[in-house]
Amino acid sequence: MIEVKNLSKTFPNSKNPVLKEINLKIENGDFVSLVGRSGSGKSTLLYIISTLDKGTTGEVFYDNRKVSHISKEEIYVLRNKQIGFVFQFHYLLQELSALENILLPARKAGEYEKRKPLALKLLKEVGLEGMENRFPSELSGGEQQRVAIARALIMEPTYIFADEPTGNLDSINGLMIIELFQKINREKGTTIIYVTHDKEFAAKARRQISLTDGVLC
Amino acid sequence: MMFLSLRQLMARKKQSILILMGITIGTAAYVAISGMMLGFQSYMLEQLVNNEAHIRISAREEVLTAKDMNAFPQVIHIFWHLPPSGRKDSSRIDSPLGWFNKLDNDPEVAAYSPQVVSQVIFSRAKVTRSGRVIGSQFERQVKVTNIEKYMKVGSFKDIGASGNRLIIGSKLMEQLGTRVSETLLISTGNEAPQPFKIEGVFETGIKNIDETTAFISLVDAQKLRGRPSEVTDIAVKLFDPNKAQTRANEWKISSVDKVLPWQESSASILSVFKTQDIVRNSMTISIIIVAGFGIYNILSILVNQKKRDIAILRSMGFTPRDIVGLFLNQGIILGLAGGLIGLILGNTICHIMAQIEVVPGRMSGPGNKMIISFDLIIYLKAFIIAMTSSIVSSIIPSREAGKLEPMDIIRAGGQ
Repeated sequence: MIEVKNLSKTFPNSKNPVLKEINLKIENGDFVSLVGRSGSGKSTLLYIISTLDKGTTGEVFYDNRKVSHISKEEIYVLRNKQIGFVFQFHYLLQELSALENILLPARKAGEYEKRKPLALKLLKEVGLEGMENRFPSELSGGEQQRVAIARALIMEPTYIFADEPTGNLDSINGLMIIELFQKINREKGTTIIYVTHDKEFAAKARRQISLTDGVLC
Repeated sequence: MMFLSLRQLMARKKQSILILMGITIGTAAYVAISGMMLGFQSYMLEQLVNNEAHIRISAREEVLTAKDMNAFPQVIHIFWHLPPSGRKDSSRIDSPLGWFNKLDNDPEVAAYSPQVVSQVIFSRAKVTRSGRVIGSQFERQVKVTNIEKYMKVGSFKDIGASGNRLIIGSKLMEQLGTRVSETLLISTGNEAPQPFKIEGVFETGIKNIDETTAFISLVDAQKLRGRPSEVTDIAVKLFDPNKAQTRANEWKISSVDKVLPWQESSASILSVFKTQDIVRNSMTISIIIVAGFGIYNILSILVNQKKRDIAILRSMGFTPRDIVGLFLNQGIILGLAGGLIGLILGNTICHIMAQIEVVPGRMSGPGNKMIISFDLIIYLKAFIIAMTSSIVSSIIPSREAGKLEPMDIIRAGGQ
């Protein structure tokens, strides 16, 4: 469970806060979309919730533990084992094959061999069976994004955070990604929080959180 | 992170190979140049140390003053009409027996050889050459110097105990236009010339010695000078040539004679060696520094190019230390591989150089081949230089990469 209490964020070189007194609770197994226009602070909120960024005031709690009280080393382990990220630009490592990209978090955890069967299974689930030895340059944008989703799932995390996962894709591929999220959420119970500015994609979530000028509405 | 480091290196083969070549050439150059210079130096040193003596004790050529002529102990003041001047009539060691006794009982002395060294004129028919003859007892002389090693014809023993037999430097023999078993006249200038029969020829490779020097027996030399039982020099060999300087300093205190360790007698050559070392080191270090800058540049560019990768790696739980390792590993791999290949290449060059014949025969070893040092220290130093430069030059960009926060990269648009 993730809880956000009185969270505000102001960037160092600006006067206006991006986020104002946000209060939010996300239960495990939830499927949430964060919507808002660009500049509304939705991505900033996502990154603060996901431990990559910090708020100026207020707190984020993971299972009732204050994130600011968790040591750096524990945060690294948390990111590795409990959190999966999907970014807009899929961010695959160009030097690694699809399978190696998927297994990167497992390599960090020292579970490379152990999770290899799961990686192959995930590839199949995202519809890329038999493509494990392809390199990112040999995959289309939609395929790369699906590899990135498989990578986010490899450690069987509790949470998946996605920042505009469809932003760089056409609507067919975008829809495919969102449906994949739905399936993962349904079958594995993974909490999924994704940012999007597309109303149609946002509507696919069980719960929509809308941000306007840094305020929930 | 080693796995990913290797992948990144392999993904940029051209760059990696170029940098590798830089380090390789630097290392190989160090090995080859050091091998050549140190080979030459060690050869020269060996000649300096072992051809002459570790310590040479010789008579002080004293200039006389009024003080030395104080022959009237009961008189307090002496006034000279014309104060005495000039020098002692002969150079000789005043109490050789005292020295022999001292050297016999010194545990650091390996051997010593009393000598009579005189400046002479060699003549054969109408050709004359000036030079010096060294009179010594052959059984002692061979223990002090390497002369036996340099014999081209005959054996050093052939000078015998007496009997006017001569071992001559090869160049001197050439200049006199003579050959083995012919007879030369040797004159000190004061006494009548005496005939000596050439029994053997030596060649040290040092022009100065080969052109001027001949060896005869101690007794013959004393006769030649007309001063039986006098000794002008004592050549001393120590067990450890490096102790010559300190030992000589001790002996100087208690002696009126001149005590000259090899370090002093060849100070000018030793300073040439020092200059050579400076040239050698600064040259190779500059090559390696250039290679180091190459590593620094390429890694800096790489860190910039891979910012998105850094962000994604950090977001999946890789630590700043992992990121530092990712880039540092590449520098270390380049240094390690470049260093090792450089050592092998340098060694190969050294082996090839050791086959080169040096035509004039001087400054060359057995068979007129170039002398190359294969000292392990050279290889160790070369490797350490290569490793240090590549590690130092990769630390800076790697640490910069470690300091990058994923959020800053993402906010900057992943560029």
